[in-house]
Amino acid sequence: MKILHSWLTDYIDAPPGVEDLVAKLTRLGFNIEEIKKTGVSFTGVSVGQILKIEKHPNADKLSLCEVNDGAGVMRVVCGAKNIAVGQKIPFARAGAELSEGVLKKARIRGVDSEGMICSAAELGLEGYDSSGILVLPDSAPVGVDAKTLFPKADHVFEVEITPNLAYCLSHYALARELSVFYGLALKKPAVCETSAPDKGIAGITIEAPELCRRYAGVVVRNAAAATPDWMAARLRAVGVNPKGTLLIDVSNYVMYELGQPIHCFDLHNLSGPEIRVRTAFPGETMKTLDSQDLKLSEDMLVIADKSVPVALAGVMGGMGSAVSDSTKDILIESACFAPASIRRTSKKTGLKSESSYRFERGIDPELQLYAALRLARLVLDCAPGAKVEQITDNYPLKHVPVTIEVSAERINAILGTKIPEKDIFSCLKAIQPELSDGKPFDFAQGKPWRFSVPGYRRDIESIWDIAEEAARYIGYDAIPSASKMPMMRASTAPSFEVAAELKGRLAGLGFSEVYNYDFISLKDFRNCLLNEEEAVSLKNPLSAEFQFLRTAMVAGVLKTLSYNLNRGRNSVSVFEVGNIFKKTKNSHSEETMCAGLMFGAFPDSEFWRGGGASADFYHLKGVMNSGFSGCGGFRFEKAKEPPAYFHPGACLEMRLGNAHAGYLGLLNPMVARNSDLKDNQIYYFELPLKVLVAAHEPEFWQRAPQVKAVSAFPNIWRDLSVVLEDKFEWAEIEAAIAKAPDLSSVKLVDVYKGKNIGENLKSVTIRFTFSSMEKTLTDAEINAHINAILLKLSLNFGAKLRA
Amino acid sequence: MNQADWKNKLALIRDGFLSGLAKTDAAGLAELETRHLGRKGDLTLLLRELKDFPIEERKVLGALGNALKEELAAKLDERKAGAGAVDLKKSQFDLTMAGYPFPKGSLHPLTLTINKMYDGFQKLGFTIAEGPLIEEDYFNFEALNFPPDHPARDMQDTFYVDLKDASGKDLLLRTHTSPVQIRTMKSLRPPLRTVSAGRVFRSEAVDASHSFAFHQLEGFCLDRNITMADLKWTLEAFMQDLFGSSAKIAFSPSFFPFVEPGAQVAVSCVFCGSGAGPEQSRRACPVCKGTGWIELLGAGVIHPNVIKACGYDPIDWSGFAFGAGIERFAMLLYGIKDMRMFYENDLRILKQL
Repeated sequence: MKILHSWLTDYIDAPPGVEDLVAKLTRLGFNIEEIKKTGVSFTGVSVGQILKIEKHPNADKLSLCEVNDGAGVMRVVCGAKNIAVGQKIPFARAGAELSEGVLKKARIRGVDSEGMICSAAELGLEGYDSSGILVLPDSAPVGVDAKTLFPKADHVFEVEITPNLAYCLSHYALARELSVFYGLALKKPAVCETSAPDKGIAGITIEAPELCRRYAGVVVRNAAAATPDWMAARLRAVGVNPKGTLLIDVSNYVMYELGQPIHCFDLHNLSGPEIRVRTAFPGETMKTLDSQDLKLSEDMLVIADKSVPVALAGVMGGMGSAVSDSTKDILIESACFAPASIRRTSKKTGLKSESSYRFERGIDPELQLYAALRLARLVLDCAPGAKVEQITDNYPLKHVPVTIEVSAERINAILGTKIPEKDIFSCLKAIQPELSDGKPFDFAQGKPWRFSVPGYRRDIESIWDIAEEAARYIGYDAIPSASKMPMMRASTAPSFEVAAELKGRLAGLGFSEVYNYDFISLKDFRNCLLNEEEAVSLKNPLSAEFQFLRTAMVAGVLKTLSYNLNRGRNSVSVFEVGNIFKKTKNSHSEETMCAGLMFGAFPDSEFWRGGGASADFYHLKGVMNSGFSGCGGFRFEKAKEPPAYFHPGACLEMRLGNAHAGYLGLLNPMVARNSDLKDNQIYYFELPLKVLVAAHEPEFWQRAPQVKAVSAFPNIWRDLSVVLEDKFEWAEIEAAIAKAPDLSSVKLVDVYKGKNIGENLKSVTIRFTFSSMEKTLTDAEINAHINAILLKLSLNFGAKLRA
Repeated sequence: MNQADWKNKLALIRDGFLSGLAKTDAAGLAELETRHLGRKGDLTLLLRELKDFPIEERKVLGALGNALKEELAAKLDERKAGAGAVDLKKSQFDLTMAGYPFPKGSLHPLTLTINKMYDGFQKLGFTIAEGPLIEEDYFNFEALNFPPDHPARDMQDTFYVDLKDASGKDLLLRTHTSPVQIRTMKSLRPPLRTVSAGRVFRSEAVDASHSFAFHQLEGFCLDRNITMADLKWTLEAFMQDLFGSSAKIAFSPSFFPFVEPGAQVAVSCVFCGSGAGPEQSRRACPVCKGTGWIELLGAGVIHPNVIKACGYDPIDWSGFAFGAGIERFAMLLYGIKDMRMFYENDLRILKQL
């Protein structure tokens, strides 16, 4: 909310200066987002008149002017082109304070200049043409202080008002808050004191008191007038464009002054004239002030005249009943509507106004008549012939003050303070203590206090609110930093621990962690061959790019790849841990995944000895192997039905125990092509974290890897090169020979296909390591083992020892 | 000198030689030979002293002495031929050439920040909890004292999804991590001390300091006789863990529906010494803008309505809650200037961490 400094301080005696005020408001919980200077602050400038213009003897572009500023005729040098004899201009004498500083006497190109004819910028005025001097109206009297022609120096604060402080949504209310907390005397705006009958002209009926607890209506006749300049200036300062017609502008003025939204009807446009506060009838419509045809529903509260709705209560007025330039007689509506109802109507119709904003946040139910009479007073002051003819205060649901019982002990217990009872009591000035038997509170009795909360403090409902009130008054600095909390054992969430461990491992293996948005587009679904029917969709997306929640991580990491390739990287190894979302038969699933890819040069930086390669399938399989050996290691199987974004012939399924633990493989070339990654070979993996979390579930001592003893006797290794048909896969070969006695490991160390071997054949070199826990193995024993293995290879695969 | 003294001296010479041999390089071998075996070497001199011993003793000791002389000579020869050839003055490497580029990965700055923040709170006894991103209105708003049709809901622009909860309300993307508080209070019994970090969503346009997806860390404590002073102590201890033991915190009034009293929490600016440094550097401090304070958290005493919603009596049980934007911490800690960087995933930046 915009607060004008001079307006606010109207209500405070000995008002605080700008800096002091900002500090005071901040301390009370009002965040000042911006402070803007307005008006003029120059001094020493008077209205002058140009009497004579000559050319400067030594400069083509300068002129010599004689100016009468009321105190005498002065000679000045001027560079502006828009000067003319007879003009009224702002003339600054030496010593004047201008926007750029204090003006000194000057000698310009050999001629003395006794002052300056000012431009708007030099006077610190915004919104004027500053290409030349500022020309003043002819009516400006020579010699008068030029400051009087412009608005006074002032400040506009942009104050953030949180919903709990909504009772401060006006200048007077904010002044009241300051007066309560800082003991400043408060001046209440004057109201119209005349009395008038409470009925006669317009009948006012409240048919839905639960939605409108109070409706004050005041009829003023013969009230037409122009908006006075001071009022227009104030409205402009707080961001309202004044219309110039008093009866239109004054209701805004009172709202920004007191916080009570007010609507004025042209009495002659009300059929009856009468007012009915009721819910809309089925099928009813209304044309709003901004000429929308509004379909009303039965839960919406309207202000109707005898026949049709004339306003959407608290939200917006109707077209037909509105005050216009020609309005003379008005009905002032100052009502108290139920916040939730206003909010629902505003949401449903999409109509928002300063009025609905305030009603949603709650209005003091004790304010309506006062505000209506304040408006009437302003009208009477500005339109001398105006007359108040009816004052009605229909108040079916009286405000019952909230009563709260609280003790100093309780407040200290919430705040963790030891503030003496008397000090706490004295800071609760905004809420009135209920005195027993009319006597002042007796501290000696130590009884809890009973407070009766004033109507405007809708935020105070409990002792916690009172504790905050006390803390705001005393200052939050009074709360010590001290604790007697007992020690507590902290544990971690398995899901976090698993993710943290996984991230650490992948980072250790050269992968960089990335974060992508959870939102993807329909195009992403199509590009990555994902099923959009599973997708959870946003009802209010920011754009089509961010329409759906991701059902797989692939789109995001591919974006990361593109982003980095476009910036000249030739190697990208990244991973991301995030959630994927899918619709299910009954509702939806949300699952944490780890996904990543390897692409390009490996290692990612050149080495002077060479040896670099391109990351391929076996690099990624190696990552999955070493990264997870800690949890027992994955078992790899050929994927039967991998997700569509994998190449179906180059995808492995990872399994942990009996559970599916993810996929790794070559990205489907179609996906790479769709994603503008051309024919690049991208190796991609994804793991659902839940499998790792499940493996992590037992207590640490139960799942800590158990160390196996190693042999005290030397290991013996032998390499065997055999030639066999290409169709046999390594897993089959390994399975056939892995069980040989004394064998501690089998490693494939070389595969060769080529001319010397023959078509459809390959040579494999296998390294066998033998060891025994009991003794040193002899050559004879090893030879026997190797012969047995060779025999098995030859029987199973027709393998022959390579010559 | 008696026989025992002589033997002692012999043993000392041997020790001296061997330790010298272990330390020396090729250039030192000659010097070692001169010192022990040369014309004026200590072994040579010791052998000369034998002339004063009786003949019988002279024979025995002479044999010992000559045996050592041979041993040392052999050891010298061995070194001269083999290991002694190592020239420790010259290197076979150009030590300035790059080492092997083992692939170096990195953790995202937000992960690093979350880990660091979790660490800080775990030291204070807070247990880590996590919650879903698709949430129910009840956990995200209602139980946190945002009644339906309450304007406080406008403080958090919400994304809704095309799914409904059991009561027929639209499911939403959580706008803060506070629903984890409710889920924890409802599933576990106090005393509780929990901290939870994660992604949250608000329907806001992206710029240098805003994003529709960002991260929050949320913590709360529910126990008996918990006060705002406990909250202040906890947050101060946490901030000191992060910013050093001179860090101070300050509370000022603020509003969040789920706490009462509510506070905005600022930490003294460690980047300019919080006004402790020269006036000039404080005024120019780009982090605190000369105020000496950095606003980093929202906090407060848990609102009685929240405690009631979770099934506890707010007179018997009390607690505090706090929340912070993780991006803000990450930006401060790692000198990141633009929030968009967190989702750009530029490896030139990420690999620096």
